[in-house]
Amino acid sequence: MREETQMTIDFGIKNAPRKFAKTLAAGIALGMLALPGAAAAQERVKVEWWHALGGRLGEVVEKLVTDFNGSQDQYEVVAVHKGNYEENMAAMVAAYRVGQQPTIIQAAERGFMTMLNSGAVVPVPTLMEEQGHDVDWNDFIAPVSGFFLVDGVPAALPFNSSTPIFWYNRDMFKEAGFDAPGETWQEVEKQLYAIKEQGVSECSMALANDFFWSLIENYAALHDQPYGTLANGFDGLGTEFVFNKSPLVVGQLERLSKWMDDEVLQIAGQGLSPEQLFTSGTCATYVASTAAHAGIGSGAQFDWSATFLPHEEGVEPKNSTIGGGALWVLQGKSDEEYAGAAAFIDFVASPETQVWWSKQTGYVPVTTTAYNALKSEGYFKENPTREIAILQLSRGEPTENSRGFRFGNHNQSMQLLVEEIQGVWTGQKTAQEALDNAARRGNEILRQYERLHASQ
Amino acid sequence: MIERNLGLTIFCHAVLLLGAAAVCLPLYFAFVAGSLTLQEVQQTPFPWVPGTHFLDNIATAWNQGNFSRLYINSLIVTVGIVVGKLTISLIAAFAITYFRFPFRMTAFWLIFVSLMLPVEVRIIPTYEAVADAAGPLRWFADITGISWLVGSVTGYQLEAALQWNMVNTYSGLILPLIASASATFLFRQFFLTVPEELCEAARLDGAGPVKFFLDILLPLSRANIAALSIILFIYGWNQYLWPLLFTTDAEMQTAILGLKHLVPVSDAEPAWNIAMSAAFFVMLPPAVIILLMQRWFTKGLVDSGK
Amino acid sequence: MQVDPFGAREIFVGFANFAQLLGSPDYRQSVFFTLWFTVIQAVVTIALALLFAFATDFVIRGRGLYKSVILMPYAIAPVISGVLWAFLFNPAVGPLAQFIQSLGIPWDPNRRPFDAQLLVIVASVWKHICYDYIFLVAALLAVPQSLLEAAKLDGARPVRRFFTISLPLVTPTIFFLMVMNVVYGLFETFGIIDAVTRGGPAGATNTLVYKVYQDGFVQLNLGSSAAQSVILMIIAILFTVLQFRALERRVNYQV
Repeated sequence: MREETQMTIDFGIKNAPRKFAKTLAAGIALGMLALPGAAAAQERVKVEWWHALGGRLGEVVEKLVTDFNGSQDQYEVVAVHKGNYEENMAAMVAAYRVGQQPTIIQAAERGFMTMLNSGAVVPVPTLMEEQGHDVDWNDFIAPVSGFFLVDGVPAALPFNSSTPIFWYNRDMFKEAGFDAPGETWQEVEKQLYAIKEQGVSECSMALANDFFWSLIENYAALHDQPYGTLANGFDGLGTEFVFNKSPLVVGQLERLSKWMDDEVLQIAGQGLSPEQLFTSGTCATYVASTAAHAGIGSGAQFDWSATFLPHEEGVEPKNSTIGGGALWVLQGKSDEEYAGAAAFIDFVASPETQVWWSKQTGYVPVTTTAYNALKSEGYFKENPTREIAILQLSRGEPTENSRGFRFGNHNQSMQLLVEEIQGVWTGQKTAQEALDNAARRGNEILRQYERLHASQ
Repeated sequence: MIERNLGLTIFCHAVLLLGAAAVCLPLYFAFVAGSLTLQEVQQTPFPWVPGTHFLDNIATAWNQGNFSRLYINSLIVTVGIVVGKLTISLIAAFAITYFRFPFRMTAFWLIFVSLMLPVEVRIIPTYEAVADAAGPLRWFADITGISWLVGSVTGYQLEAALQWNMVNTYSGLILPLIASASATFLFRQFFLTVPEELCEAARLDGAGPVKFFLDILLPLSRANIAALSIILFIYGWNQYLWPLLFTTDAEMQTAILGLKHLVPVSDAEPAWNIAMSAAFFVMLPPAVIILLMQRWFTKGLVDSGK
Repeated sequence: MQVDPFGAREIFVGFANFAQLLGSPDYRQSVFFTLWFTVIQAVVTIALALLFAFATDFVIRGRGLYKSVILMPYAIAPVISGVLWAFLFNPAVGPLAQFIQSLGIPWDPNRRPFDAQLLVIVASVWKHICYDYIFLVAALLAVPQSLLEAAKLDGARPVRRFFTISLPLVTPTIFFLMVMNVVYGLFETFGIIDAVTRGGPAGATNTLVYKVYQDGFVQLNLGSSAAQSVILMIIAILFTVLQFRALERRVNYQV
């Protein structure tokens, strides 16, 4: 490697005519070096997997990969942590354009359309079939895989799925005279105000960073409110945002804004994770993903618990929707790599792995078999809060408004929504104005996406 | 020459003390954070007094992130970048200031305009360029029929031979970052202040341009080179986005990437204590460079020659 | 062009991207904020750095120590410094925020756009002062002692010497730094903005370069991002040309 560095620094300074000859020589030399290297290969086929999980979750991922590699000797999965979801995507896109892409990539559910319509993926069911793996797609928990369904089977393997639940500080609630949070927003509101007024805590609720997911999108799903037309985009690219037309959604935003003005609800802001506000005992409640189990379990020094998300009085709540990532398989790789990928996916989807993964991380197990295994183990009796997510996800019959969504470039429209809502927090706009703007700007993005993919 | 102006001296010391304090306050808090345990680091309000776990956290962080290898990578890459940048910009500034050739100012402006786009914005095209560095050559060879010629004569596929892929190599990490408009600009400013008489004198003595450059300009530029080395070293050391995109091999990553992996993300535990302690040892080489290089300024080398 | 990030699909839309940008009030607001943010932080950074450089040049004792300490922030990884600032001024838990609040000021960058803008300016200046400081110290050192001695013999006091001799002689460096500061403000501050405010609240601290980064890198809207980069480049070039024309005349290159 030393030689390489020196050679190329010289290269920069010497003059141009020699450049061609040198490149040729270098090229041939490198090319010839590479070939025998690849041919005299290790017996194992390397399968590259790029993911976005760092910290403790990253460690669990490493263990997962090590377990897989240890369980057989044909393939070796190499897991690379490429930053967060966006960086992961950007890296993959850049790599794809020059043929350097990995075999498997973890992408967030928001990126679903981008991945699906990219022409760069091999749908997971196709892969599994080609490689001769038998997967029972019906075993996948409906709300989890429903998000990813294309023609009845999920195009990507749901990997780390979660849904928001309502975390609360039981000590604080008891001190204020309540046993548990109410089931409706109205009851909860009374309780939160009481907690503040009685001086039990300065802050009754911490606002999660992904509140647009947990408190707006999921709110719409739970209350069977359409987020967009055409079944939230499942039925076509011509979908339009209509969440601003729902008085319930607007009311929800107005309610949050009022809580914020009264300092019942607090934003964590940058530099601080809202989870910390909860685990340090500052705020009494927190609406966040069930994956927060790991952090809350280790950080909270008080009696904590969780329950279902509240719903409006008089409305029968539907299921909530998932968030999280899925595993996609990219095109342009060799057959052996695909075989390895298929074996890995099989491994990940197996009940044993799902049970282990769910316990370690707090993410929801994706198959009913795994779920039942956990149940029969008595796991949920010991940890009742772990089951809430699944129960909430599978509650009732999903409607077209609660299956999730299919919006092109949803990253962008979501960003706009957050920006507009911030206008409400700063007092520059009313809730209705913010939502109207967000819908209007979001629709521009949807139309752009539609135009770009019109031929499909 | 000792100045006896007590008022001004006190004022200056005061300003500098305030400045130093203001500048170091965030660092102090980082240190405090790095010295707490996982529980303590999550408490509110945040303590102003450090805890006792600094060394433990450093050890954990070092092992967790496999920093020994990362450190070496960072060093190699950074030194490469500094040397490369200095060389290229000195030569370029020299050319621009002292020679008259057609398109001289255009070249200067082009170089300058490239300043305008930081790496992040041109990252995807740069990646394409570097991963397939011989692409243009291949294209050229195709167009002119050379590849056909070579193919039929030697049986070698020129295409395959011209695959020059620098992904996951040191050169790939260094090369795209060594062109520097700011350094060129700085040297150009500096060279413009060098008196014409010096140049005349050198020419009268029979020195050619290269000798002038090596024996006169370079020594004069020492303070600037020292200053720039600090800046460039730190720039190279702290590069995040490019190594992130470019390396898939964990063995080829840089220390900064290792640090970023330790910084807690939303779904994970807020292990800020580990991340902050790691920040300190990642900061170590740049800090050492600063401490060493700033002494060059006091040597008074600059005074000679004028 | 509108592109699909994978490069598979491209539609040439002519100037539609540009038109959309220039027509959007949010974009125009960004331009406005970017301009005054850049200018303010450029001027403040240089002024402070000049002050520190002058003081460093003047004091005899502890010079090396001051230099080292003031330069330290430059060594911190940008990813850490951004996070540190966000944390220190976080209204809920940040020590400095609490200090400000104890003075009676309702500090909240999450809900008060002005606070967020101020925070972003302070963080950017902090990070960049070292850069200006280093070059100014080097430049002040290059001022020939002979001139200063002569002036002293003529009875000029230190501050006067600074303004009449040192300052004019370091104008090449100051000019260089002004240009660099503007470039820094326009382009390299997005890391700080990303860590400290994410362009919020409600787009109050959304500078042009941050939008380029967001749209191109995060949202993968490469077409719009490229168009924004072009506009940004044009602005930068205009700024620079203006500076060269207006200020370079005042710069003394030859002693």
